[in-house]
Amino acid sequence: MSEQKPVNAADIRAVLERNDSARLRAWLKTCASCGLCSESCFFYLANDNNPEFMPQYKVRKTLGELIKRQGEVSREELEGMKEIAWARCTMCRRCSQYCPFGIDMGLMINIARQCMRTQNVCPERLMNIDQSYVEFGNQMQIPDEEFVETCEWMAEEGQATIKDLEIPIDKQDARIMFIVNSREPKYYPQDIQEAAIVMHVAGDNWTMPSHGWEATNLSMFSGNIGVAGMVAQSVYDAALKLNAQKICVTECGHAYRAAKYEGPYWTKQPNGQAPVEVTHAVALFHEYMKEGKIKLKHKFKDAITLQHPCNLSRSGDLGEKADELMEMLCENFIPMEPHREWSHCCCGGGGFIPMGPDYKRTRMVAGKVKAEQIKKTGAKYVLVPCHNCTDQINDLNKEYDLGIKIVSFKQLICELMEVPPHMQPEEEDE
Amino acid sequence: MATVEFKGKTFEVDEDGFLQRFEDWNPDWVEYVKESEGIKDLNDEHNKVIEFLQDYYKKNGIAPMVRILSKVTGYKLKHIYELFPSGPGKGACKMAGLPKPTGCV
Repeated sequence: MSEQKPVNAADIRAVLERNDSARLRAWLKTCASCGLCSESCFFYLANDNNPEFMPQYKVRKTLGELIKRQGEVSREELEGMKEIAWARCTMCRRCSQYCPFGIDMGLMINIARQCMRTQNVCPERLMNIDQSYVEFGNQMQIPDEEFVETCEWMAEEGQATIKDLEIPIDKQDARIMFIVNSREPKYYPQDIQEAAIVMHVAGDNWTMPSHGWEATNLSMFSGNIGVAGMVAQSVYDAALKLNAQKICVTECGHAYRAAKYEGPYWTKQPNGQAPVEVTHAVALFHEYMKEGKIKLKHKFKDAITLQHPCNLSRSGDLGEKADELMEMLCENFIPMEPHREWSHCCCGGGGFIPMGPDYKRTRMVAGKVKAEQIKKTGAKYVLVPCHNCTDQINDLNKEYDLGIKIVSFKQLICELMEVPPHMQPEEEDE
Repeated sequence: MATVEFKGKTFEVDEDGFLQRFEDWNPDWVEYVKESEGIKDLNDEHNKVIEFLQDYYKKNGIAPMVRILSKVTGYKLKHIYELFPSGPGKGACKMAGLPKPTGCV
């Protein structure tokens, strides 16, 4: 429950100043309220064009107020803003592409969240996760030893499929340092195993760090930039310590954005870039396919569509590669309309999934736009290279009775690829 | 928040269908949830998993990692999925009365 402490306006002003409030003020003044952003927003579309869901309105009611009043607002007002900044926007940035002035409304909502987070105004479940990052270095309270043991276990069980499968931990000088989402060691260790199988079969020189393995960065969404920077730094430190050539992020959207684009800024990198190059599983698998390191028995035959995660294909540079990878793996790839950087957010991002059951209804209502996009393709398979998108589309599947099956790239590749004879386990009864 | 009535008992559940209060759990809850989790018949192996999840939760206040679940029960990952098709995090925890896991899940 929110304690009734008075609002500390100075803390809010510090966030505004740090974020160059001249730029923010200019954006707010430049906005002509033309409304071109409205129909770009899935929240607006899914809520019967209710003007309260217009991106420009959401920015004015949150950051706009905070700037205008220089943080001198009441706790009740902040609570009201919370429901706008977290429950009516995923910071997917689609609206920025439609703004004639190029105003980055997603970023403005993010700064509003940072202001509120200084006052502990934030959806509770999301806020609590910051603490897990501080104590454990990951979002699910996993001790590093248990992470390592899970990897050993997955390598061992994976040897039933791939002889001598290894998950190398803390190997020096590897080409790829692979990092994962906590949910993989905690609840879905098969994801680690599948990624390991793909990298092993491709003959890559790869490793995972025993610390700094957490790819996610939900503090970016809670607005706690101090913790977000700490998480990004521990990934960079691990890669530097192991002298890895590249950091490769698992099939997760926001983790890529955090490590590649936002992390360098939070951690004050001198050249504005991560100290070790950051890549993503989509790009890695694309490279394996293109260079013939992975060969297929056959392509996937059924009609299949692709969910473009906002943080890969809009805030990131992977839209084209994801499409090309689909073409290399599938015979009948049916893109959603609109797609790539124009695709709609599914409403799983921006912290929505971790915000928990209290926000599920909102998520299901706003997800209608994505459900319709999927339905229109007619495909019964959806390739989803992001965990939050996966959970959301799974929920939409039930809510809107889509009758679809969701797969990841690594899962699909494991199913389709040719395993060289020397990697096949000796015949024995399972 | 919603209320579920089953065999004369009421359960308060969250929007994801997890029990609102762990203390409300009783074996009827498992009976109620099993169908939506794709389980036809419950056997001793299901119960062994459920009991372990509850013990661990009582001691630690969180759900265990799958690795620990596998080590204690002796079941391979594949077998855990055979028992609980929607997985250890969602299906098994829901049946055991644990709250919805936190984080990206």
